[in-house]
Amino acid sequence: MNELIRLENITKSFGDNVVLNGIELTVGENEFVTLLGPSGCGKTTTLRIIGGFEQPDSGVVYFDGKDITGLPANQRNINTVFQNYALFPHMNVGENIAFGLRVSGKSDAYIKDKIKYALKLVNLKGFENRNIDQLSGGQQQRIAMARAIVNEPKVLLLDEPLGALDLKLRQEMQYELVRLKKELGITFIYVTHDQEEALTMSDKVVVMNEGYIQQEGTPEEIYDEPINAFVADFIGDSNIISGKMVDEKVVEINGIKFPCIDGTEQGFPPKRRVDVVIRPEDIEIRPYGKGLFNGTIISKLFIGVHYEMLVQSEDGKIEWLLQNYDQHDVGAKIGMYVRPENIQIMRKPKSEAESAIELDI
Amino acid sequence: MKKLGKIYILIIMLFLYLPIFTLMVLSFNEAKSMAVFTRFSFKWYAELFQSRLMMGAIVNTFSIAILAALIATIVGTMAVLGMDAMKPRTENVLLAANNIPMLNADIVTGIALMLFFLMLNIPRGYCTILFSHATFCIPYVILSVRPRLNKNTDRLFEAALDLGASEKYAFRKIVLPELWPGISSGFLLSFTMSVDDFIITYFTRGAGINTISTLIYSEVKIGIRPSLFALSTIIFVVALVVLLIVNARQAKADAAA
Repeated sequence: MNELIRLENITKSFGDNVVLNGIELTVGENEFVTLLGPSGCGKTTTLRIIGGFEQPDSGVVYFDGKDITGLPANQRNINTVFQNYALFPHMNVGENIAFGLRVSGKSDAYIKDKIKYALKLVNLKGFENRNIDQLSGGQQQRIAMARAIVNEPKVLLLDEPLGALDLKLRQEMQYELVRLKKELGITFIYVTHDQEEALTMSDKVVVMNEGYIQQEGTPEEIYDEPINAFVADFIGDSNIISGKMVDEKVVEINGIKFPCIDGTEQGFPPKRRVDVVIRPEDIEIRPYGKGLFNGTIISKLFIGVHYEMLVQSEDGKIEWLLQNYDQHDVGAKIGMYVRPENIQIMRKPKSEAESAIELDI
Repeated sequence: MKKLGKIYILIIMLFLYLPIFTLMVLSFNEAKSMAVFTRFSFKWYAELFQSRLMMGAIVNTFSIAILAALIATIVGTMAVLGMDAMKPRTENVLLAANNIPMLNADIVTGIALMLFFLMLNIPRGYCTILFSHATFCIPYVILSVRPRLNKNTDRLFEAALDLGASEKYAFRKIVLPELWPGISSGFLLSFTMSVDDFIITYFTRGAGINTISTLIYSEVKIGIRPSLFALSTIIFVVALVVLLIVNARQAKADAAA
């Protein structure tokens, strides 16, 4: 994959508030990259720096190998779908879509063709003469997409474009976006705080917090092998517990030894204190005494696909979050088992500053 | 109870419109009397249009109103744009300062402007009235344009830049149409306030120049002529027609939206 955009050591502050702390990021051609993080993590600022709406305090933005750090937004071959769509209210749908083409001086015939093509692409054929305020939220979202893509940008920036839509529409639009991306064959950089959106659509997820990139990787890598407690907690539900390596590839949690697949080779030699992540769906329920450890179910919640249960360890020190398709009664004593490959070992944050970054969620 | 409410509304309407109605009736009275209606006639309308004094005052009033409103609208709109580019704190201080002239009594503004012209040795006349009117209208323009320029217009401006527009083009095509309702209402407000004004005009005009209001004031001292009723009637009817047109257009726009 060819590199298209590279951010080199980008820092940015607003007043005393440091928003970005040396961001390093590479985006490949035709890649779907998602910047994921809680509000205030710097993801939107990163996007605005790529779009040219914000100047970094230091650092360089490369586009196609050229330094574009100082280039104004209207000279970048990049278009944006804004969070609130920012459609021009005094223009109809067709005029909105035509805006960028008119600016670049395209012929009327070309513009007409392009409007038709774009509306077909976003499934809103024949909407040329509608007014903006006659459109639903989802339709406005599609028009915002159409307005951006008619200019044939190399990169499309999307700033929480689905944030204002209801759940069902949001899920529909996720499929739409992936389809559009395939048809257009361009790079998408997507900003969201919704981990589900990030996991379903992206080729690469970049998890950010407090102006630092915490981890970047494929959705599977991010989900299965979170690098620290922040990522593990932000991406889906998880049990994050302190533990200690007691033997080669054996971790002890609350006095119980669990075989795992991480050892000295992965940087976790015996006697090292670690954080352990176990996903709730990875804890298997066994008859009492037949698993690795035992506990009592203290609450149960039905959430559609499965049951979510809280299980208290026998010494009362730990509450495990479990997800299971089978129903078990509250108060029941059960045994639990976790496969070695489902135990994710993470290093504990070293300094206080580092732990502040990770725990301040 | 319902009947009582209707009577109440009727009384209010009578208080509001009966005086104006009396004035309109008297403007068609042949006699100069303000008490007896003798015969219907257009005599005072004819006198009005033949009187150079009155026609001059009418021309002055409306030309000053249009020019002052234009100047105030342009200056006020530019001020809003300029303030928007400033730091929020500076902008808030300036906006607060903008409110002071509006709260200030007209008589204070009038005397202050008069002293200002005297001090700088500027001969008082048409231009000083125009300058004064433009001055007291600017805060109202700022007040009506400012709310139109907000986060939303910032976003639209950015969206236009994103689509490749230059800053000038984005302003002209996207931001200006958004400000337009504020600009036009600022203009109309300025226009009416200028036509309405007496006190400030009185203090800043020179000898021999009159607007409708100062003319009426000086006529009252020597005995009012029914041609002034005719003039008032015309002004009232024109205002009424304009109001009806504006309302009809508003209703049409609301129905379309």
